[in-house]
Amino acid sequence: MKRSPRIVFLSVILLSVMCIFSLSHAANTIKIGIVDTYTGPATTFTNDVLDGFKLAVDRINVGGGILGKKIEYTTRDEKFKPDIGLAMAKELILKEKVDILMGTINSATTLAISDFVKKEKVPFFVTFAKSEKIVGEKGHRYIFNMNENTEMAGRATAIALAKKPYVKYWIAGDDYEYGHAIADAVWNNLKKLKPSAQKVGETWWKVGEADFTPYITQILAAKPDFIIVATGGSGMVNFQKAAKATGLSQKIPFYQHTATELSVLAPQGPNGPEGVYGTANYFFYYPDTPENRAFVADFKKAYNRNPRIGALYGYMTAQFIVAGYKKAGKIDSEKLINALEGMTLDSPVGPLEIRKCDHQLLLPMYFGVTKRDPKYDFLIAGNIETIQGRDYVPSCQEVLKLYKK
Amino acid sequence: MENIFGFISPSILSQILVGLSRTVILFIVSSGLTLILGVLRIPNVAHGSLYMIGAFMAYTVSHLFGGGNTGFWMALILAPLGVAALSFLAERSLFQFLYEREHLMLLLLTFALSLVFGDLVKLIWGAEYRSVPVPSIFQGYINLFGGLPFPIYSFFLLVMGPVIAILLWLLTNKTRIGKISRAAAVDRDMVGAVGINVNWVFAIVFVIGCLLAGLGGVLVAPTVSVTLGMDHTLIMEAFLIVIMGGLGNVWGALLGALIFGLTQSLGILIWPQFGIVFPYIAVVVVLIFRPTGILKSTW
Repeated sequence: MKRSPRIVFLSVILLSVMCIFSLSHAANTIKIGIVDTYTGPATTFTNDVLDGFKLAVDRINVGGGILGKKIEYTTRDEKFKPDIGLAMAKELILKEKVDILMGTINSATTLAISDFVKKEKVPFFVTFAKSEKIVGEKGHRYIFNMNENTEMAGRATAIALAKKPYVKYWIAGDDYEYGHAIADAVWNNLKKLKPSAQKVGETWWKVGEADFTPYITQILAAKPDFIIVATGGSGMVNFQKAAKATGLSQKIPFYQHTATELSVLAPQGPNGPEGVYGTANYFFYYPDTPENRAFVADFKKAYNRNPRIGALYGYMTAQFIVAGYKKAGKIDSEKLINALEGMTLDSPVGPLEIRKCDHQLLLPMYFGVTKRDPKYDFLIAGNIETIQGRDYVPSCQEVLKLYKK
Repeated sequence: MENIFGFISPSILSQILVGLSRTVILFIVSSGLTLILGVLRIPNVAHGSLYMIGAFMAYTVSHLFGGGNTGFWMALILAPLGVAALSFLAERSLFQFLYEREHLMLLLLTFALSLVFGDLVKLIWGAEYRSVPVPSIFQGYINLFGGLPFPIYSFFLLVMGPVIAILLWLLTNKTRIGKISRAAAVDRDMVGAVGINVNWVFAIVFVIGCLLAGLGGVLVAPTVSVTLGMDHTLIMEAFLIVIMGGLGNVWGALLGALIFGLTQSLGILIWPQFGIVFPYIAVVVVLIFRPTGILKSTW
């Protein structure tokens, strides 16, 4: 009996200490909410975004944080469903009171959240959603696009393809929005740059198509010079495997956006098809600069694998948030946005700028072709042609014309 | 050479062959589905997940054995057995208690299982795309009539299809368990009344059906990327095939798969932009004229 008052006393002290601690804790952190798809096939890409982001944030926190405040982040799985994603964004902003929102790979979710953050005036960093509407007609002050979109990929590809001698094109792809958006972007821009290009036919298959052989034999019979293949997700690998099995890759050259990306080539090992053209924003082996080598080494040390494209998006998002707050000198959303507009930071792929007019990150695009390399047990991109962001991202004039005020 | 085939052009012939090789996978998977549907009355939505697990197991086994030819043959044997073991577990621990319940309950259970299996795959194998290499003896392609390429692996599938069909025929017509299960499909109370342990018959049929799903997964693995979500598209097609063929009828599944595979490959030839709609049009046409499926449904 003698002891109990002491225990009560101690626990009261402990409780009050905890209260104080959690209070100061709340005021002393910058909260970032991440809404993304963490179940299902899209995880292949989103895990890298998160890991790249964590890599940067952990280092910043160890170094004392920003303006004396640590970064705290919390993730929500939107399960590739826009309604869930929007509900989670609302919860993060209204209940968790996050300072910044980031994510998502699902364009529909991104656009839904985008409308909401515009009202709530919370900065939203988009990492991976590819719809051109995000910074196009649905663009606004609170949205930042940290990756390329379908229109940009199409323009970059058209720039590279226009220099090639091909005239007769066939277009084939996954019959969903992303597939059509990529195909349209490549084709419309190519037609502008090279009016002599002609389309000899189109093939569309359903998303998740397992067997491409019947489509490929049909395309082969038409004998085009070049095929623009607009696949996404697992369709990328599926098509390449079919192209290899039917010998298509040796007969007619073809292009896929992200065909040269690690997530597509690594699973196929040494059996991937050679000679496939592709565009991607990042390779762990290119550009072979000290900055990129250091980033790859850090990432590998932390996660025991090579970083892929999403890692760069996540990593740079964290870097820009930090640099933005530092420049603003205060944890304030409006000041952060002002600070970020036009800001340039060094990155593993060289200096990158967030454009002032539409908050688009200007990333270089690498157009290359798959080839074997004795250093790796999978195919890599060769003959890389770098297309700079300012050359392939639609101009401010074009974008602002689309803005719906 | 082209004259030999008379009116049929080489591209049509090659498209038919390609369609047939596609039919094989569809048939193997949907025959398992229809078997379970016919005998156990379970609309097994998790069937697609078992197909996916079969493909992932094939990946693991083939890599354990070095990824070469041995790896593939071992995967062909071990992965379906692994899926069978998993399904046996599921049957004994869950399904056997629910046979008397209504279909909706069973449907909900299998739907829940498909989600559980999906997350299980993500836990075990992760979210990366996996790839099973085509065994070196089946690598490459040959030029068919008119120089159109046909993958050698698809020839292997064309051989596997009839083999599986014959085995299934032997199983259902020549074995005791096949006869009992056919009888149970028609009237399970009567089978129980004559003193046969229906419970174990059901377990065996369930395992065989799931084994077929796993086998389909193994066979498809070298031609695609093994990934989460590969179950969704397949389960849709498999159900359409089963409905088109007649619920519970294995030969209906064969017919349905043939119609599905061939209309798709020939549809591409006719109208490449809208090739995907042809199998679905075929389903609609079949169901308008034969609402219960082409062959006799056991339901």
